[in-house]
Amino acid sequence: MLRVRATFEKCGRAKYISHLDLNRCMLRTFRRSGLPIWYTEGFNPHPYYSFALALSLGFESSCEILDFNITDDDMSMDEIRDKLNAVMPEGMGIVKVALQKQKITAIAKAEYTFSLVTDNTDGLFDAAQSLIALPEILIEKKTKKGIKEVDIKPDMEILSCEKTSSSVDVRMYLPAGTQTNYNPTLFIEALKRSTDIPFEPQKIRREAILCADNSVFE
Amino acid sequence: MELREKIEKHLLEIQKPSRYIGGEVGSIIKDKSKVDVRFAFCFPDTYDIGMSHLGMKILYSLTNERENYWCERCYAPSEDFETIMRENDIPLYALESLDPIRDFDFIGFTMQYELSYTNVLNMLDLAGIPVFSKDRGDELGQIVIAGGPCVCNPEPLSDFFDIFVLGEGEEVNLELMDLYWEMKQQGASKLDFLRKAAQIEGIYVPRFYSFIYKDDGTIERVETSEGAPEIVKKRIIKDFDKVYYPENFVVPFTEIVHDRVSVEVLRGCIRGCRFCQAGFIYRPFREKHTDTICRETKCLCENTGYDEVSLASLSTSDHSEIDSMLTQLIDYTAKEKINLSLPSLRVDNFSESLLEKIKKVRKSGLTFAAEGGTQRLRDVINKNVSEEEIMNTCRIAFQGGYSAVKLYFMMGLPTETDEDIAGIAELAQRIVDLFYSIEDRPKGRGVQVSVSCATFVPKPFTPFQFEPQDTREMIEHKQKLLLDSVKTKKIKVAYHDPNVSQLEVILAKGDRRLCKVIYAAWKKGCKFDSWEEHYRFDKWLEAFEECGVDPAFYANRRFEYDEILPWDHLDYFVSKEFLIRENKTAHQSKTTPNCRQRCSGCGVNKKVGRECFC
Repeated sequence: MLRVRATFEKCGRAKYISHLDLNRCMLRTFRRSGLPIWYTEGFNPHPYYSFALALSLGFESSCEILDFNITDDDMSMDEIRDKLNAVMPEGMGIVKVALQKQKITAIAKAEYTFSLVTDNTDGLFDAAQSLIALPEILIEKKTKKGIKEVDIKPDMEILSCEKTSSSVDVRMYLPAGTQTNYNPTLFIEALKRSTDIPFEPQKIRREAILCADNSVFE
Repeated sequence: MELREKIEKHLLEIQKPSRYIGGEVGSIIKDKSKVDVRFAFCFPDTYDIGMSHLGMKILYSLTNERENYWCERCYAPSEDFETIMRENDIPLYALESLDPIRDFDFIGFTMQYELSYTNVLNMLDLAGIPVFSKDRGDELGQIVIAGGPCVCNPEPLSDFFDIFVLGEGEEVNLELMDLYWEMKQQGASKLDFLRKAAQIEGIYVPRFYSFIYKDDGTIERVETSEGAPEIVKKRIIKDFDKVYYPENFVVPFTEIVHDRVSVEVLRGCIRGCRFCQAGFIYRPFREKHTDTICRETKCLCENTGYDEVSLASLSTSDHSEIDSMLTQLIDYTAKEKINLSLPSLRVDNFSESLLEKIKKVRKSGLTFAAEGGTQRLRDVINKNVSEEEIMNTCRIAFQGGYSAVKLYFMMGLPTETDEDIAGIAELAQRIVDLFYSIEDRPKGRGVQVSVSCATFVPKPFTPFQFEPQDTREMIEHKQKLLLDSVKTKKIKVAYHDPNVSQLEVILAKGDRRLCKVIYAAWKKGCKFDSWEEHYRFDKWLEAFEECGVDPAFYANRRFEYDEILPWDHLDYFVSKEFLIRENKTAHQSKTTPNCRQRCSGCGVNKKVGRECFC
């Protein structure tokens, strides 16, 4: 049995597929592909597959990770990729298929990019810079136990923050994985609270899923 | 700003956005510069419901087989998105091209239930298309048409549509589009086109017919103009085994009501239950061969990736090869780990061996449509099911491990008495008693009998088309009686809102005078009338009042045998003489055998030109 890890993109219209719907969608994609995917052996056998991280509705990504098992040991990674790509929905494509190297628990962070579209780029840029410079950024996070106030500042790494003619573009690392998961909308909400300048977040995109040492999770 | 950009700007503000942006696997995209005729296939309810409709899947794929025709899908937006559309000038658009449907050649609606009528007006309005056909101009284009079971009496909708397509659409839809394209190239006017279209069998152009009423409100006569035929015949597919069936379905991202492959196994019904419109308007009975059914199942499962298949028909167990069909299907589905669901299995031929086969697949709910609480009443409605048969089936089911049974009944049936209502509770009680009398019943669980009671709605082209509906007071009395007759918590009772059923009968049996009522109700904000949370009966009553139309004239009046009915000029192959004969037989509490046992002379064989069973 091959323990396979596929990296896929979810762009364009596919960003409106919710995580719950993505599950159903992948199940049907596997069935259409005719790949010999391994089924669970319980009372109600179903194809075994799992996503490393959930992606928020409306986000794009070029690095989503899907694990599954193939029962045919002789199958090549390229063949698996091609068979899936032949039947994937629009906006979704397998970028890479390889054997699983690391455990899911090795995932520590994710890289995000987004554009904050505004008429006042100078003002918004300054507001973003001031927010980033603060010693702490407190946000209210919904958890299973209720609303909790958290400081996202220590776990947030700004890689770049740039002005364009119509937007402020941000690139950042945020914690991801089995322990802590921060969504870039937390930062965006904090910025909204810190300034009166109207802006609209666009093109929120997960660019990479990384380990603690910033290497790409494989 | 492009329409797509405008839509996407707001998609994340609404529930289940993937319903509004297309891009599903199996959706058909064409180069519009190479397309001659564009057809917007509209379902007057939300995506979740409309995407489940089999007829639309068939006609969508069929039309798109023609390279130069492009059929796209369109559904009614939910309230949250409708508000955004209206606020931001987003016209109703089709899901494949995301182009506004007002620019299409055909805007076609499928009319599946009466309570979706206001949604048609709302969708036309959202599209920026005038709701009245008379306001849509003379130029050839924007032809608004409808098909589906409700158009067997389309008069309440006649002011809004240019064309009604009667019967099965697989052939006539393409004939209509062919005529359109031919005439479009010649520069014909809309009137020229409609005049010619009216000569196609199955095409009814309401503007060429006018109704003259008597002083008592009934119909005096119907006059035709522009050479339109006096009687319009429905269309049927003669060789059903060879009829086009899609090789692929559009596979939605979001969950829909029937989220599975549907394979149609037969059309029509041999049973002749006197309340059932489908049982008469879809005659004659035709079935597909086992091999065809298996081939279509396999093909659709492979192409869509669905892991569930359902057999679609009015009564699957009436298929002449039911045993071999299920054996072959179960062989395939078990191997491929596909669930097979079998709705519409009848009580009386539910054999032990059949149940065994179904049990191997999956344990799903057990549902019986007994319809009437006493044998006398079941004879009146010609539901040829005896209590012995119901008990027998329940026994087999209980021994097979089932402990929950659902029973469907109707309330307000012709000749019904309080005794018949009490009979519903008594029948349910005897099923409870039966459960506890069986030694090898499922252990550790109690029995649950769910009784679901609908209000009877008399429908056109049934032997009960002449019948009045019970008034609300009568139905409320019967509902109370039923609740009082149930003595145990093992029996659960649910029933429908009689106000909904009343509107249903009015729209089903209404005439052209209802058009203005529907318009007035929609103007008052009525839409999604089949959704409990949207239904505003008070607004409907206001609309009736303002238009001077008496609801009781349609709902609670007996239509006479010699009266001209609003649908008498439409020919669904079942003769009026037969329906009158069946109505009289019903009032004598006598049954009629099913079509396989003996031909009861409904007239369909004469219209088709061959016997139904040889």
